[in-house]
Amino acid sequence: MEDALPAFVLHSEAVNSAPMNGPPIIPGAETDEQLMQAYAQGRSAAFSALFARYRQPLFGFFRRRVPDPAHAEELAQETFLAVLRAASRYQPTALFRTWLYAIAFKILRAHRRKAAFRATFLGAPRELPEPAAPGSLDVEVMMRQAVARLDALDREVLLLREFEQLSYAEIASLLALPLNTVRSRLFRARLALHSLLAAPHVPAAPASKEAL
Amino acid sequence: MIATSHPVAPEDLMALLDGELTAEEAQSVSAHLDHCAECASLAQQFRAVSQSLSTWTVPAAPPALKETVLTQATQAAASARSDRTTPLVFWNWKTLAFGGAAAAAIVLAVGSFLFTSKPAQIVSERQMTEPQANPQSIAAPAMATPKPQVAMAEQREMNSLAAMDSRVAKDSNGLFQGAAVMALPSPPMPNQASFATGASARIKGKGIAASTGNAASFAPAPPMIARTVSLSIVVRDFSAARGALDSIIARHQGYSAQLSVTTEQNAQRTLQDSLRIPTSQLAGALAELKSLGRVEYETQTGEEVTQQHADLAARLQNSRETEQRLRDILAQRTGKIEDVLQVEEEIARVRGEIERMEAEQQALEHRVDFATIDLHLTEEYKEQFNSTTPSASTQMRNAFISGMRSAAATLLGLVLFIEEAGPVILIWLLILAGPAILLWRRFRRLHASA
Repeated sequence: MEDALPAFVLHSEAVNSAPMNGPPIIPGAETDEQLMQAYAQGRSAAFSALFARYRQPLFGFFRRRVPDPAHAEELAQETFLAVLRAASRYQPTALFRTWLYAIAFKILRAHRRKAAFRATFLGAPRELPEPAAPGSLDVEVMMRQAVARLDALDREVLLLREFEQLSYAEIASLLALPLNTVRSRLFRARLALHSLLAAPHVPAAPASKEAL
Repeated sequence: MIATSHPVAPEDLMALLDGELTAEEAQSVSAHLDHCAECASLAQQFRAVSQSLSTWTVPAAPPALKETVLTQATQAAASARSDRTTPLVFWNWKTLAFGGAAAAAIVLAVGSFLFTSKPAQIVSERQMTEPQANPQSIAAPAMATPKPQVAMAEQREMNSLAAMDSRVAKDSNGLFQGAAVMALPSPPMPNQASFATGASARIKGKGIAASTGNAASFAPAPPMIARTVSLSIVVRDFSAARGALDSIIARHQGYSAQLSVTTEQNAQRTLQDSLRIPTSQLAGALAELKSLGRVEYETQTGEEVTQQHADLAARLQNSRETEQRLRDILAQRTGKIEDVLQVEEEIARVRGEIERMEAEQQALEHRVDFATIDLHLTEEYKEQFNSTTPSASTQMRNAFISGMRSAAATLLGLVLFIEEAGPVILIWLLILAGPAILLWRRFRRLHASA
């Protein structure tokens, strides 16, 4: 109605956040999969190119999911090192992106498990709300609070879709969920987020699980 | 907000925005979107959400991340060039080596346990070269021991009797001397006779010293010594040593009272022998035995039995004199039947005593005449290829069968364990389930909020 078809594509870093993604993909350059294979055959420059492409998205992936920035950096590094170790076993059957996020997600889960374990048995330090980034808007803070109030799984689906630009099928395989569940959860998460943003001052506490 | 009768499912609308629909579906949904205000507002909502989410920016990744990773990358690439598959192979090798070592250790442990617990195969044999010798040697002490005190008392009585009637003693002296000689066991070797004469000489010297003028019989008798030798010898060739032992025994006119041979598989063989060798030949026999191999230890004991023997001989003589007197009484005197019977009864008693003492004397003399050698032969053990080792196929078959057996035993053990411990485990599981569930819930909660 108001926009042409291109507007159907939702905002995402991969598409419209070129300045954050580091050097943009050079047109005509090799695909991620080719680069990965080249690296597996011993071309270290290929990995540098891959790293340049995915450094920021991967850091963002962890930064949005882990409260401590230092942890996020650590986990991103760990993911890249895991990629390095697994390079010889890489098979270009799946998209490199999917493969990378699968690894990242495993590492994230391991981190969460450890954190939860520590919290259970050692007592977690009360998590401080993340200090607003300099120059951040109120809108952004509100949005983050709203996202934090979503159901954990809904939130994960939403983040994977919005920021990592994974397809429904990729999300489904990553989270080991049926495709339809991914769709319905994503739908639910979006509507819930919309309503949370529309009425931000609803008392927060238990709403996170039963949002919508 | 969204009517259920709506021709396009709201999720499809979202899928369209996400680019997840096929071309056909996308066409129909987008066509609908153009006409439906409701759907257009929903699409607007989705876009607004995406837009607001896009404000969630992330600061640039710290440069340290770049350096660390890239350094690793170049290193890894270098190693990947040189040997890309090495880590895998190395890991396999390590695993193989470790697994092999562990398996070997288990096999060794189990094997050693099985072998040590295998019962030793003992071959024991008894060999009696002179079967009649044994009952004799056993019977004599058995007869001698029952009532020594009584015998002594009787003997004293008889001594006094003998002193009272010295004439009878003198008369019978010659007779008894001969009897003493004749009563001795038929000697298997010449020196027996000399012992016998020595013994009789002492009888004479003690009992009727004054009445005899034979100077030779007064010569001090050699002490009577019962010799016992313990000998432990290690031999190189067990079979040869055994043959040599037999020939030594035969040559010295001895015999083995008890012989046992132990032949354990894969162990040294041992031989335990109780030898009886004529005392005169003891030194020679010992020397020959020692030449069989290396002597590990040797002990010699000599028990002086001269006194014991003399005592026995004196008592024997007195009893004989008493018997003779009683016979004289029976022959010369007449009396009532009652008295006659009493005398006969007395004769029978004395006779029994005499025989018992004679047997005792014989046993004692046998001990003196035949020295005892307790011989312990041990083989110098050498590990050797055993020609009787079962063939490979037999061993494999045996191993297979025992393997199956132990597998069955393991299964049975498992079943037994489950039967035995199952209920207890179940109880504990029930007890622990509550706390575990609580912890898990807490874990999940924290996990979710993390």
